[in-house]
Amino acid sequence: MSVNEKFSALRKGLLEFVVLQIISAEKVYAADILQQLSGTEFTTQEGTLYPLLSKMRRDGLLDYEWKESEAGPPRKYYALTPKGQEQLQETLEYWDQLNVTVKKLGKK
Amino acid sequence: MNKVITINLGGNAYQLEEGGYDGLRAYLETANTRLRSNPDRDEIISDIELAIAEKFRALLGGNKTVVVGKEVSAVLAEMGSIDADPAETSGAGGASAGPAGSARAAGTGAAATDHPPGGGPKPKRFYRIREGDMIAGVCNGLAVYLNIDPTFVRLAFVFLTILWGTGVIVYIVMAIVVPEAKSPEEKAAASGDPSTAQEFIRRAKEGYYEAMRGFPDRPARREWKRRFKREMRGYADQWRFRWHGRGTETASVHPGIGFAIPFLSLMQGMAKILGICALISLLATGAVFGKALPANVPVWVAALLLLIAYGIIAGPLKIARRACYYGMGGPGWSWPIVFLVDALVWIGVVAILLSLALVYFPELSDAVKSIPPLIHQAAADIRNWWK
Repeated sequence: MSVNEKFSALRKGLLEFVVLQIISAEKVYAADILQQLSGTEFTTQEGTLYPLLSKMRRDGLLDYEWKESEAGPPRKYYALTPKGQEQLQETLEYWDQLNVTVKKLGKK
Repeated sequence: MNKVITINLGGNAYQLEEGGYDGLRAYLETANTRLRSNPDRDEIISDIELAIAEKFRALLGGNKTVVVGKEVSAVLAEMGSIDADPAETSGAGGASAGPAGSARAAGTGAAATDHPPGGGPKPKRFYRIREGDMIAGVCNGLAVYLNIDPTFVRLAFVFLTILWGTGVIVYIVMAIVVPEAKSPEEKAAASGDPSTAQEFIRRAKEGYYEAMRGFPDRPARREWKRRFKREMRGYADQWRFRWHGRGTETASVHPGIGFAIPFLSLMQGMAKILGICALISLLATGAVFGKALPANVPVWVAALLLLIAYGIIAGPLKIARRACYYGMGGPGWSWPIVFLVDALVWIGVVAILLSLALVYFPELSDAVKSIPPLIHQAAADIRNWWK
């Protein structure tokens, strides 16, 4: 497994976290999320995002409502549930803690 | 000159070049296969179709009315291959690959590299399916294989167990012998190609958008949307809810009623056991719990009286319990199932008790053997009385 492949597994694991982060700011629909992610390390595609969103909804982290769009079919706008907020907070704290640990280890 | 095919995505018609159409169809089929074990499959597919529709819409306009093959490929590459299991970091095939890998998978008709198109329905294989299983997924897998509701398969096993005791053994053997469906390919092979189900879903979705555009005003449309949403969500969880959600549902309606039902069930069960024991002791020894019958009362009359007494005791309990069921939301879908489960549980308990009793109490097996003469005697008594 090359270094890049390892990173890709890492990124994939973190995707749920960053999606939570994005949705926590405001109600968004899938294309917004993809656009915010594009250009970052977490650039992803509908094929990955939609199954993830539906899994997160099943886990009770987020919910959606249909909204009309100016043209074309209605869109799903996602928002965090209280449980999602809570998980985001926990993950943020854990992430900070991980950072501290990673930097501290191996330094004497 | 290229042939153009009109398709319906998210309630709007799009014209695609034939090559593009094949690519799109292969993409959606692969998506369907990969998501086969995902409870939200239909919803995800419909999301994906809507997203593709939006991308097509952005391409069209003015004089341009047809999406050419290259554009379809580009859109599909942009969509990326479907990630069957977002939680796993070791996704199958190119699922976790970056844009480059996805582009390969989604190129013109190349989404089919994993699953050759035109191969027709794939042969079914019997796998155990752990998603939504109760024990080891044997019944679940068998139900998918036979294309019926897993509840029926489970009931069949319960009956086999009660009647001949074989269900448990068959189940254990199957749990050991039958492989578990782990990869998406195996999960797909477990159910073969659900072309009719797929078609049904597609039609249902088309119907949704068609109906929505036909509504005259916003409130009506919103109401329709709300209903559709609820249905889409409710459907997948429904049977699971029937089995696991019974207790919670009972409690959520009225705590008192929720408490009363198990209590009444217990009372009724005790009455039942008591009645059966009394009957057994009567048949075995000619006396109810050691109390001899009055002279000149034949055993069969005593048995009849015992049954009537049991009815008098158990009847009100039964009625009270039934009232509780109706009280918790009226005759909805749940109560016949509740009754059925209860009845099955009791048949099972009684059968087990009886078989144990037959083994451990010689008097009882004697009584069973002496039943035919009893019947003869009853018939004779009735004849005498008639004369």
